[in-house]
Amino acid sequence: MSYRLVRAKDHGLAGCHTCGQVVALHDTARATCPRCGCNVHYRKHNSIARAWAFLISAFLMYIPSNTEPMMYTESFGMQGSDTIMSGVLYFLSHGDWPLALVIFSASVLLPLLKMIAIAYILIMVQLGAKHRRVENTRLYKLAELMGKWSMVDVFVVALLTALVQVGVLTSIQPGPACVAFVTMVLLTMFSAMAFDPKLIWDQTE
Amino acid sequence: MQITDQPHGLFVCHECDALQNISGIQPGNVATCVCCGSTLFRNPNGGVERPLALIIASAILFLVANIYPIMQIKIAGIEMSATLTGSAVVFFDFGNPVLAAAVWIPVVFIPGVIIFGLLYVLSSIHFNMGLPYTKPILIFASRVLPFGMMDVFLLGVLVALVKLVALADVLLGAGFYAFVVLIFAFAAAIGSLELHELWESLDKTTNRPVERKLL
Repeated sequence: MSYRLVRAKDHGLAGCHTCGQVVALHDTARATCPRCGCNVHYRKHNSIARAWAFLISAFLMYIPSNTEPMMYTESFGMQGSDTIMSGVLYFLSHGDWPLALVIFSASVLLPLLKMIAIAYILIMVQLGAKHRRVENTRLYKLAELMGKWSMVDVFVVALLTALVQVGVLTSIQPGPACVAFVTMVLLTMFSAMAFDPKLIWDQTE
Repeated sequence: MQITDQPHGLFVCHECDALQNISGIQPGNVATCVCCGSTLFRNPNGGVERPLALIIASAILFLVANIYPIMQIKIAGIEMSATLTGSAVVFFDFGNPVLAAAVWIPVVFIPGVIIFGLLYVLSSIHFNMGLPYTKPILIFASRVLPFGMMDVFLLGVLVALVKLVALADVLLGAGFYAFVVLIFAFAAAIGSLELHELWESLDKTTNRPVERKLL
């Protein structure tokens, strides 16, 4: 950037996260927003440590959510189980590649990319990197937005279980991967929320 | 701690902490951060009226989408139907309350809270009613906003649809069509809303009785 910008923190100011009110903090670390009553602080508390904690837990949950079965099917006495990847391969073998692509990107690729993106930004901040800040901020916003789309497979299982309960003939039951998946999605969302993007900009030039 | 007398348009960027003064944003225009390019302030067309109209539409569609079934299937002469809440309740019946909550909360509860909460807040502002508890409701609605997943659920419905077509006769219910329109109405409502403006007008309406007392 060719022009010098004023950071709110340098002037003892902070923006309220909820209502946007500009509050003068001066030497106190946190204050109550006079407009909405929420806590206002310069930076989120313990942001990097909390983001890492959520991220590592999310990655641990990512493993069972992809290896364990997503649902158990029972059709005319035949029992079967489906993981995410076996579902993707099923659609691929039936020539349904757009659907295979949707499930693969939402359930396998997106969570992984999101976790890599957050880890990358965290490492950049901890190294005190000063370049590509605009890109890193955009990457963070993108990672924050795309997390919830991984829930799609859980919703599919919910709908299938609700609909396919035809007595003893055919039934579908949710598998252990569902809970792992929900936990993983929530943890990546918490991780993105715990991180404070202002830290990307905190290194003085 | 002291309150700065905020001249209209002093903004702190949520992403990069750049302090900027914004003025003269015409309706329909957006102010972006000069430093990182994030949106600082939007001046949407139509003030409070447009989001209010869209939220009223969303509220009606939300009720329809929740009452009528999303899908109906027929296997071997047996008919099954699933409503939004119904597909969560099934998990509950299988002794899996965690999954029931994981479906019901982001698809039914949170959108419901946001829609009816915003309906309450926006009508309080638009009709100058000065209703109580508008601030905590707005705070709660904006906190849970990222956890609303109706759009993701729609993608799930479409995937389930393709899977089921191979198994059985599938009929889309009235709830499905209401749900599709609801997602667009809701997205348009949130898109035409500027929280900064909302908070400012909330300040005005809730301060009104105090000013009257002073007079």
